Amino acid sequence: MEPLADTGRLAQAATWEQLGVDWPAGQEQTLVCCRVVAETHDVRSFHFRREDGAPLRFEPGQYITLALEIAGQRLARCYTVSSPPTRPFTFSITVKRVPGGPVSNWLHDHLQPGGRLQATGPAGSFTPTAHPAHKLLYLSAGSGITPLMSMLRASLDLGESMDLVFVHSARTPADIVFREELAALARLSEGLRVIAVCEALGDERSWPAPLGRLSLALLRQQVPDFLERAVFACGPEGYMRAAQALLAEAGHAPERYHQESFNIGTGPGGPDAPDAPDAPAEPASQPAGTGFTVRLAKSQKSFTVAPTQSLLAAVRQSGTAIASSCQQGVCGSCKTMLLDGAVRMAHQGGIRQREIDKGWRLLCCSYPQTDVVLDL
Amino acid sequence: MPAISSDKHSLLIRSRQPWHSMPGELFGRQDVFDTDVDVFFYRHWILVGVSADVPEPGDVSTIDIGKASILIVRDDDEQIRAFRNTCRHRGARLKEPGKSTVGMLVCPYHQWTYDLGGALRHTTHMGKDFDAGCRALRPVHLKEVGGLVFVCLADEAPADVALLEQTMAARLAPYGLARAKIAHEAEIIENGNWKLVMENNRECYHCAGTHPELTTSFLAEDFGFCPDGLSEEAQQSVQAYHAKVAASVADWESQGLICAPVEALGPDVATLFRTQRLVMAGHGESQTMDTKVASQKPLGDFPRRDLGDTHLWTHSSWSHVMSDHAVVSYLIPLGPDRTLVRTKWLVHAEAVEGVDYQVDQLTSVWKATNAQDASLVAISQQGTQDPGYVPGPLSRYTETYIEGFAKWYEARLAAHGV
Repeated sequence: MEPLADTGRLAQAATWEQLGVDWPAGQEQTLVCCRVVAETHDVRSFHFRREDGAPLRFEPGQYITLALEIAGQRLARCYTVSSPPTRPFTFSITVKRVPGGPVSNWLHDHLQPGGRLQATGPAGSFTPTAHPAHKLLYLSAGSGITPLMSMLRASLDLGESMDLVFVHSARTPADIVFREELAALARLSEGLRVIAVCEALGDERSWPAPLGRLSLALLRQQVPDFLERAVFACGPEGYMRAAQALLAEAGHAPERYHQESFNIGTGPGGPDAPDAPDAPAEPASQPAGTGFTVRLAKSQKSFTVAPTQSLLAAVRQSGTAIASSCQQGVCGSCKTMLLDGAVRMAHQGGIRQREIDKGWRLLCCSYPQTDVVLDL
Repeated sequence: MPAISSDKHSLLIRSRQPWHSMPGELFGRQDVFDTDVDVFFYRHWILVGVSADVPEPGDVSTIDIGKASILIVRDDDEQIRAFRNTCRHRGARLKEPGKSTVGMLVCPYHQWTYDLGGALRHTTHMGKDFDAGCRALRPVHLKEVGGLVFVCLADEAPADVALLEQTMAARLAPYGLARAKIAHEAEIIENGNWKLVMENNRECYHCAGTHPELTTSFLAEDFGFCPDGLSEEAQQSVQAYHAKVAASVADWESQGLICAPVEALGPDVATLFRTQRLVMAGHGESQTMDTKVASQKPLGDFPRRDLGDTHLWTHSSWSHVMSDHAVVSYLIPLGPDRTLVRTKWLVHAEAVEGVDYQVDQLTSVWKATNAQDASLVAISQQGTQDPGYVPGPLSRYTETYIEGFAKWYEARLAAHGV
């Protein structure tokens, strides 16, 4: 365990519970948009306040769920709160416009100051609480920067001394979300170092670093003590698989690696959002895999699922009702018979081997490896 | 004349004349029944099943007793544990009665999730400061004795279960019942008070006239007979019985098989039981219609089939363990005049139905016997509730265990302040 030093408050739930008012995750509230900020050419931050004026209580890294009605269809999307809980009266989400994505496009095209929408309360477990660490490494890619930005802003607002290296990957320098703010914060904060890793120059004339992707060589060179650091990572699935693999290769302790995965199109911070895909989230980093066909035997539905999407999320997106609770393979509420095909499942005790042998799977932690047929 | 129905439970049992049957109100009144359930099923060790009810990790057997319900589970460490079947959130039942297999125990209401050690492993919406550590399922005392499962719902369980455990563990060990499988289970609801079910089980006075199937193998003489007025034929039968028992016991004991009766039946014990290796009639192998084994695969690693019948009585159960199979019966009181009797037939785990045994052949004796006993219990209930019923005398030869049961019953009520 790292010494608590004075990073203690960031990692304590009590810090966040004294701010704002409780907003249960299942409860709907009306939000009023009070500001729209263009972060890059295709990323905008939308700032809200609650219609009742109540300040927001959450932990940095958590997400809220927007519930929108677009073209007569009710859609829900999870978006990480990118602002810190230390500024609870207004809060922001930061949304990339995804080609073909109904929610992100609607937000970009229609949401203006004064606009109202419905949302349900903060949720998610990708937060610094219960993971005290003094030496930190944040890894993010694309709009996966949002939860880490909330954590960074919160740390600075708490006045905590920090030893943080923030390595962010983007397609081009112009795609770096919060580029100016990060540069300013790095100048102001002694313990913060920001490293941007870009794949291409784009419209930029020059870039003071080699182009490429996150790699072990880059980490060893830029963050030589990375093995001593607790890692928080957020980005598209392909990015995180790569990040996790290279850390494991280097011998980084898995218990000090924390990650948020976001399913295609559900926005950062929204694991298993119950709705239709907003379209491929991060084309630059998304693995080239196409997807598999999922057929539901009882309801006769058929749809395509990326190998990175949980079957639970995919089934929900198809509009099929299915029970679930923990969404991490513990409780077994989403146990379903796999009639055909193969899945990769990473459960945590919610299912017995002999149930697996009989064909049962927990959909919340199952990812298709072939076309599959489910008894739903 | 004062209304007798206002008499207290304790007065009713103390009003019983020695060597006479109990007053009818003890079999019919709801308040007496409620006290009985509390004292005899919540505060004493009771047999509620067999290890084979939960053969593999993740198996759950749920038993309802009165308003209480118990989860019996096998954890990943192969230990059998018991818990109260009530969620630590707002109390919902976690499982319906019966058997199931789970990864975790999940409350259907808000999905509070417990592992099979009882620990609360997952909740949603309870906040980071919620202390799951003090919300584990409430444990219930459990003892697995040679493949039989006993529980006690009291906070402090009677310590004298140690004698039962010590006695039966040694006698049952060679049979490997803990690894056996359930070949068949049956439930019947007898229309009588639980004490009438037990009294009926504690005497074989009625056997000759009622149980032609059982008495093919069962020697009624084991549980007493009156030597007066026996026919010459019956006298010869008694002599043959004595000779057979003496020879068999000598034979078994020479091979290290424990035979002697152990009786913990007196008013001084909390945990009532009796055991003995009984000789059987005919071929003496098993309680079947032809007195031969019903399963060709012996329960243990035995060189012989005639190992007799190691029987076990408790205050709510009766079991018979033979070389090829075991029959375990226990009761659950449902109401003053309704009692559930559950029977399980156990055979070797690898015995194959249709090859090593036929279910009919295995179960026919006790299915018939239980049905016959149910009829006897029903007419006893009806008769003792008749306004014309007057308690009658017990046979000092064949009904000594009924007298003993009544005394034990009175003593245990007194011990619990009734």
